[in-house]
Amino acid sequence: MKAIERIWTIGLNTVREAIRNKLLYTLLFFAIVMIGTGVIVGSISYVEGSRILQDVGLASIRLFSTGIAIFVGVGLIHGEVYRRTIYTILSKPVSRAEFLIGKFVGLVMTIWLQLLIMSAAFVVVSLLSGAPVDLGHASALGLIGVELAIVVAVATLFSAFTTPMLASFFTLGIYMMGHLSRDLLQIGANSESASLERITRVIYEVLPDLEMYNLSIQAVHQLPIAASEVWLPVLYGLGYVAAILFAASHIFERRDFK
Amino acid sequence: MGIGFIRVGLWLATLALTFAVHRAIPSEPPASREDVFLPKPQLAKLASLGFDAVLSDYYWIQAIYKVGATRERPEEFAPYVSRIIDVVTTLDPWVGHPYRFGAIWLTDSPESVRRGNELLRRGIEYHPDDWRNYFYLGYNHFYYLRENEAAADALEKATELEGSPTYLPRLVARLRSENADLESSVIFLTQLIESSESEDAVAVYQGALDEIDVEIKARGLDRARESFEQLAGHDIEGLHDLVEGRFAVLETLPPAEPRDLPQALHKGDRWFVDPETGRITSTYYNRRYRVNTRAQGEAWEGEAMPSAEKEVL
Repeated sequence: MKAIERIWTIGLNTVREAIRNKLLYTLLFFAIVMIGTGVIVGSISYVEGSRILQDVGLASIRLFSTGIAIFVGVGLIHGEVYRRTIYTILSKPVSRAEFLIGKFVGLVMTIWLQLLIMSAAFVVVSLLSGAPVDLGHASALGLIGVELAIVVAVATLFSAFTTPMLASFFTLGIYMMGHLSRDLLQIGANSESASLERITRVIYEVLPDLEMYNLSIQAVHQLPIAASEVWLPVLYGLGYVAAILFAASHIFERRDFK
Repeated sequence: MGIGFIRVGLWLATLALTFAVHRAIPSEPPASREDVFLPKPQLAKLASLGFDAVLSDYYWIQAIYKVGATRERPEEFAPYVSRIIDVVTTLDPWVGHPYRFGAIWLTDSPESVRRGNELLRRGIEYHPDDWRNYFYLGYNHFYYLRENEAAADALEKATELEGSPTYLPRLVARLRSENADLESSVIFLTQLIESSESEDAVAVYQGALDEIDVEIKARGLDRARESFEQLAGHDIEGLHDLVEGRFAVLETLPPAEPRDLPQALHKGDRWFVDPETGRITSTYYNRRYRVNTRAQGEAWEGEAMPSAEKEVL
């Protein structure tokens, strides 16, 4: 059995395990309710109701998907350790790195599945309300998927060495900083302090730059989106996920489960 | 069985108590609802964590609420609306209508109008192909600031854009020829009513149009008064002289009130010669209309009327 097959098997099992998680369904339910609520919120404004409806829809998708990614992601490895099933798995010819990557793949598949369901709800609500849906929306939703993969990778990294509670705090912190890093870079560049500029530059370079995955405004206003605005973030996301998983595997290899 | 009944009874009693408490809590928002906290625009952008579009929508709805609740008191909402639209358009600069919303409602002082103009210029930056922002900018320069040249410049740019009304070049010419008068106001206001997306704004513009309609009739009476004076050799003693007696120059007097006025708003429908100014005046407005009065300064101060009414002497 090749490594990829082993990772795939663990991934599929992770999907099966994750879809039994009631938290996932609760968050998914509220996400769909929020997408539908966009119709009411949009109707409060006497103009641009379609835009507001889609703003609320895309924000709900991002908010609840991230919630699922963090709160389901941080508990996956801990659950295996807590139930002691990890010993059974690792006693087989599966390396710790394969196990960790398999867990990541499974959770990303789960998150993408729920993203697909939310996107379908978004499209249906938009079309029923007469709001246009085009390739820009597809690009925005696709990039949300890549952003979620990075968030899951970060959650996997923290869950490799700490408790679910701490891992969720850390992941949430990284998510927030990831959306702030561009603004912090600007603040540093506009400041007269060289050290502040260096610090903000390091934060910007090291932490994931998640703001590049936010094409909501462009999609909703139907602004032109260059191909590079999509494929460069995808490439960056792939690289970042690989780097995070490499670090996570390295830490996980050395973890003592006793 | 007995315990089961007690449980159900307790459950129903709890429900009844909860509903009773709920009914006792007022569901109407308090009349003087506090304004929401308004951060500085850049801070709001920073704190939005990528949810800038939906946060912008939130503040936009607050702006609508504020104007809807206090639209008779522009001096109360103008500073707040100015700041909130700044936040809305910083969070999502590609919004369309909020720029014009600012221009419509920021009319309580020259400073507010200029702030509205700044918002329109930001709107133009993000929507360079939308003639409406140039049109509103031209209107503000002409109507509130008496800057006809600047108004003509703004409208001239609008004429080059797709979808702009065909009469705009004529309006530009009028503004440049220093003949900017009632007709220019009528053209501006008619277009604003056609393009307005807000019923409140339409009401304000319609109010101004009604007043111009009465002013046009008053000017007709001025001309009739001059004719009477030439024929009779003296001024009229009352408006009845224009329609009665040897030197009558009119068959009837025109209505002194706006057309289609609801019965409850009638104020006598009568013309009179104002003893203070000596001018023919309607009982409805008790004053004569003058274009661009606001730009002369004193009319801006201490007033709390809808913007269109403030145009009047």
